[in-house]
Amino acid sequence: MSKSEESNKLVLVIKDLRVTYDNKVAVDSVSLDIRRGEIFGLLGPNGAGKTSTLSAVEGLVKPQAGSLMLDGIDMQKNPLQSKANIGVQLQSTSFQAELTLKEIVRLYAGLYNVSLSDSDMKDALHSIGLEDEIDKRFKQTSGGQQQRLSLYIANIHNPLLLLLDEPTAGLDPQSRRQLWDRIEHQRGRGGSILLTTHSMEEAQAVCDRVAIIDHGKIITTGTPAELIRKHKDDPNVRKAARGKVTLEDVFIGLTGSEIRD
Amino acid sequence: MIDSISPKQCLKSLMRANFTVLIRTRRSLLISILFPIFLLVTWDNKGTLKAFGGGMFVLAIVMTIGIMSLSLFGYALAVARDRERGVLQRLRVTPAPTWTIMVSRILVQELSNLSIATVVLIIGSILYHEHFNLLEYTLVLLASLLGGAVFLSASQAVVALIKSADTVNAVVRFVYIAFMLFGLLGLSGVLGNTVKAIARWSPFGTVIRVTEGIPHIGTWTSSSSLALLTCVGYIIVFSYIGIKWFNWESR
Repeated sequence: MSKSEESNKLVLVIKDLRVTYDNKVAVDSVSLDIRRGEIFGLLGPNGAGKTSTLSAVEGLVKPQAGSLMLDGIDMQKNPLQSKANIGVQLQSTSFQAELTLKEIVRLYAGLYNVSLSDSDMKDALHSIGLEDEIDKRFKQTSGGQQQRLSLYIANIHNPLLLLLDEPTAGLDPQSRRQLWDRIEHQRGRGGSILLTTHSMEEAQAVCDRVAIIDHGKIITTGTPAELIRKHKDDPNVRKAARGKVTLEDVFIGLTGSEIRD
Repeated sequence: MIDSISPKQCLKSLMRANFTVLIRTRRSLLISILFPIFLLVTWDNKGTLKAFGGGMFVLAIVMTIGIMSLSLFGYALAVARDRERGVLQRLRVTPAPTWTIMVSRILVQELSNLSIATVVLIIGSILYHEHFNLLEYTLVLLASLLGGAVFLSASQAVVALIKSADTVNAVVRFVYIAFMLFGLLGLSGVLGNTVKAIARWSPFGTVIRVTEGIPHIGTWTSSSSLALLTCVGYIIVFSYIGIKWFNWESR
């Protein structure tokens, strides 16, 4: 397979996805695809359906309709095999508070059947700046350290697809930049990433393509530059812009300026 | 594309982690062991032994109290807290089948129940001059596993019906005190024959009766068989509730 064929290969294909909670439609006919080595951003206001879409891919919620294919495998028919090939960082970092970082890494390495020697583990934790915290309990570490560990664990088995739900929420600018570097590194290894974010700066900085979702529906998809080009003359976008049109102006123009809970 | 991971491998990793957490929270484990020992020592007098109908019956009561406290506080609270923190959701997105997440916790809990039962049985048999052969020891320990299953399934039902960890905390304390007081006072007969009959068929009472009757398998009565069947019934009903209404998220 040539390099361009390889990069055009679809890793995730979502078709007509529908997710409801007690008759409330959270995701409505969402279709999107992610190519190998691509970083795809799902943008939307609170309650737009971003996390629900991700939850369906993660296997946490059962879709009412639609299909999810991971590298040609039906994710709904083969949930465990799919989970073995995706890495997940949930919105809130969550490991057993009483375990040390080393024990958490050992647990998740076991769950993904990754064999790690003590020196492998030290090297890995060194690479994310946690070598001195190896024997600290999870509850004794800072938010930034927990976030770094969480991203490392999501990547521990070199997944085909990495799912990151608002990965930079609550991080300081240094940690955010470091996380972007790690995301780029993951892409460099040929992995694909689907992330949700509220940060247009982040979407513009790291995403190859983005989709804007609102009220459970995808409104538009494309590269950040394409979206700006495509929507810059939209009256709502022009109204939101304070000079040169940015991705944030497009986002506000398409989803409205009222605050969502 | 990686194939699915074997459930055995997942179970092993989860059990190791859960066992480590159990050891780290050793204070509650220690209290669950020390309280029954305290009861064994303080009840080592003729009056109490007579009121409850002999050394083996007291031994069964104490063992049941130990197992009940560990199962209710150890399992229910840990599951409720981990659910609230999102630990269970984090495990659910791994290739571990969901049953391995819960079964690993139950197995670790049963192991600690077994350790409490062993300690109580050894100390109790010395204090109360109850002599058991290897088969009888084994049968009593098996009964403790059955008792553990009754209280663990009750704990599962509690965490299925109640989402908030704080409320689960309050409810298991209430259930623990209610089971113990109602069971002890009821079985001693001070609350009358009707209450005594109800206490005998309560989860606490049936576990005690199975534990008390099982070493004397030669004189096993139909009442003991009914108690055993009732225990199994409780496990089925509590497990059904605990599985059907269990929510992996606290929201």
